[in-house]
Amino acid sequence: MMSYTYSLFSRMCLRNGRRTIITAATKDVPDTSIPWFRILESNPAEHDESCLTRIYTIPSDITASLMSNMTLELRKQTEVFREIGILVRRPAVEIISYLEQTDFTKSINKYILYGIQGAGKTTSLLHLIHYGLVKRYIVLHLPWVQTWFRYPRDAVASPLEPDKIDLPESATKWLKYIKEINKVALSQLDLKTTKEYTWSQREITKSGDSLSNLIEFGIQRNKFACGVINALVDELKMASTAGKCRTLIVIDGFNAFTSSITHVKDENHTYVPPERISITSTFLSSVDYNWCNGAAILTVDKKANKDRKDSDYPTYLLGKKGFELLDPFLPICVESYSLDEFKTILEYYKDRKWIKNISDKGQKELELLSNKNPYQLWTLCKPLY
Amino acid sequence: MLSLIRRYKVINTIGTLKITKLLSSTSTDDDIEFRVLQLMPPEKKIVSKRQQTVTEENILTKLRNEIPNQDWQTIWPAARSFHPDIVPFPLQQGYKNKEGVHPGKHGNAELLKIPNFLHLTPPIVKRHCEALKKFCTKWPEQLETDEACVKHFPVEVITSDYCYSSPTIREPLARIVSLRVKLSSLHLDTHAKDKILRLLGDRYNPETGMITIIADRCPTRKQNLDYAKYLLTALYHVSWRFEPWEMEKSAVDMEYYDWDKSKSRESLTSMYSWPSTPTDSSYEYIPHATEYKIAVSDLINKGEDLDSLNKYKQAVKSVLNLKFDDTVE
Repeated sequence: MMSYTYSLFSRMCLRNGRRTIITAATKDVPDTSIPWFRILESNPAEHDESCLTRIYTIPSDITASLMSNMTLELRKQTEVFREIGILVRRPAVEIISYLEQTDFTKSINKYILYGIQGAGKTTSLLHLIHYGLVKRYIVLHLPWVQTWFRYPRDAVASPLEPDKIDLPESATKWLKYIKEINKVALSQLDLKTTKEYTWSQREITKSGDSLSNLIEFGIQRNKFACGVINALVDELKMASTAGKCRTLIVIDGFNAFTSSITHVKDENHTYVPPERISITSTFLSSVDYNWCNGAAILTVDKKANKDRKDSDYPTYLLGKKGFELLDPFLPICVESYSLDEFKTILEYYKDRKWIKNISDKGQKELELLSNKNPYQLWTLCKPLY
Repeated sequence: MLSLIRRYKVINTIGTLKITKLLSSTSTDDDIEFRVLQLMPPEKKIVSKRQQTVTEENILTKLRNEIPNQDWQTIWPAARSFHPDIVPFPLQQGYKNKEGVHPGKHGNAELLKIPNFLHLTPPIVKRHCEALKKFCTKWPEQLETDEACVKHFPVEVITSDYCYSSPTIREPLARIVSLRVKLSSLHLDTHAKDKILRLLGDRYNPETGMITIIADRCPTRKQNLDYAKYLLTALYHVSWRFEPWEMEKSAVDMEYYDWDKSKSRESLTSMYSWPSTPTDSSYEYIPHATEYKIAVSDLINKGEDLDSLNKYKQAVKSVLNLKFDDTVE
């Protein structure tokens, strides 16, 4: 009976592709020697082409702040592997090199990552966020725009802008996240508001108040959270233009903003377009050309919008409106793994005990089945021991 | 009667056979002098049918022996329905019988039903043409090649004639006239060309550059042809006319992406001259702007693929003055 239950249980685990942490997690043993597929350099600013196809680890203090807003699969991977190991890939290295050589007195540059689903756009973004945090940028990371529009918990009419809809709960959550990841930068830079914001008759944010206080106010008074986001973005743009700080806008699934419809319903129970949601204009203005000392790194994805699903290319996914807003942008393709990268990642999985005892034939099979697509490979490796 | 049959004798073997039978029977009649009283009826001889019927095999062999050197045109001068005895070759038509053979030409109604063109065999047609030649004019020397024909006579009129044996010679489909002309043979400027294409819709084939106007609303061909010609004339003149409402054409109505009038140009100039606003709309002072202009136009006009995107990326990189070594691939 016992053995039957056990076998049933293990089969269920296999079918669902799930695995308990105990089976796969490794002990945190400090490595004395570096395996060939890793690099020690954990500062993304130092990553160049010599680091390609190697895995580096994000330090644990940054990992903790990023954890809450990563995708589910990445979070699972981080839990099981007990680290965020990121493969240094060409798109991230390319953007880092651009950021290093940008003339920051000019208007901001926009980078758009595109590629098929599961090619690693979001993971490349993590690499770049890490870069931004290390270089003391203020990072405005919007993890997945569609979560705001797809599963709105509460959509209420905006108290500040008429005929617009606020998403206070998501906004508060996001403000908390921004406060968390920019803890160091905000405390060091000491940024002040430049003008007075009147939220209601009694609640006023005075000019010269610190931005941390502004964020804190948004978290406390979630009715005005969307207004606070708007003010925050404006203030950061102004502060960056004045040269007080540098801001990195990182938006995953940007084309959700230029889509024609969202899942948010208004008071008449009809779906509204993204323009009617108050944060849309905020984030669209954040990628506008009229400020400097910053950069915008965006991704476009088929999954992020409802009406455009035929192609993975950025111009199509952004639509006419999005293209006109962002143009000129730098499209950067995130492709599936190359053969070297595939070998590295399998070696990494082996090192993390995610797969064991895989023969050369098995590796070949994995390569063919997944077509070297990172997400496919991850899913296929789930039930393997 | 005899002479009439004799005329056909050579080709008409069956006729001949019949005649011979007839002759032999008359000769036997002549031999009888006395009638013999027969008390007992004579024994009936069973003659096998097979011997009597003339098989096609026999006819063929006979024909091979005595194929005449006669003029087919004199035998079959005009259209007529099929006659098995005149047509000197075996024919089969209809469903297979029990033995699995298609019925032959004799007594075959199926062959009578269908129209034949036995009066228009290739040598006869050739002879007709020879006879008609003296009424024709000489082909102009300037129109020797097809290109010259298209150049001097750009309008092509296509009609269909129908020919079959029925009580009426009218065919409703014969009234349809299609008029074809190459768009490039019309003298049009940019505006007129754009307008004529909008008016034509799917009557214009962009692959061949041909305009096809099909007229079928009038009862006769002549009327339809006139109508088609009228349509072409009207199209041409309306295309040249500039109506006041055409001033309202905006970027959305444009048939191609014009970078000089687009938002992209505006954003490039304002981005480049930020934080000051651009004083004029010229873009020549921006380095690599022409390259960028071509890249954007290509990206939108020719559609998005990896190639045009990479071109766009290179152009943006040179405009933004960024460098990265793209050695891979």
